[in-house]
Amino acid sequence: MSLENVFFLLMKFVIPLYLLAFVIYAIRAFKGPTIVDIILAVDCLSFDIAAFMAILAVYFKSAFLISGAITLALWAYLLDIYVAKHLVSKEVGA
Amino acid sequence: MNELLFYIGAIMIIIGGICDLFGALGLLKFPNFYIRLHAATVGTIGGAVVPLFGVGFLALGSDFLGGMKYAIAGASFVTGIIVLLAASAGAHALAYAAHKSKLVKWEPKCDHLEGDEK
Repeated sequence: MSLENVFFLLMKFVIPLYLLAFVIYAIRAFKGPTIVDIILAVDCLSFDIAAFMAILAVYFKSAFLISGAITLALWAYLLDIYVAKHLVSKEVGA
Repeated sequence: MNELLFYIGAIMIIIGGICDLFGALGLLKFPNFYIRLHAATVGTIGGAVVPLFGVGFLALGSDFLGGMKYAIAGASFVTGIIVLLAASAGAHALAYAAHKSKLVKWEPKCDHLEGDEK
């Protein structure tokens, strides 16, 4: 059994775990009672989609998908910092 | 050598998937925001950083990717380090903002930050 076949066998077990986790994070993001819960759920969702895109880059043998993961991780950090700044001082201040 | 790197990466991806699922369940079931931060740490560090480093090792060991395995491995390691730094800093900033703006209803046994207001 070559390594490529082992990888595709591994993906049969790993992809459902990630998709289930995404659905549960999305439930919390839609349900969240306060705004910080929503931002925390979107934050976790973004980081996990970044990890999932790295897996998909190996799955589809494409180097372009991985460059989106870096941007997505930085975007989630930016969202955290802007919302925290707005909640503390009632302005974003660019 | 290739097989060793590949299987280390595969084990890290499986650990990441399991941590991701448990982090998501905790984020859904825990009672208030400050306790949910604990599950969010399991979901980001265990569920994103560990599989990103795992994909890096796995791509280094996979010859079926051809020449792009170094690109995928390098970008995975860079993304892993970014998430490792950004997730902790972002969660801390959110917790500080939630405490400062008094959004979350909770009954703490003790609140050391309460005296620091003003």
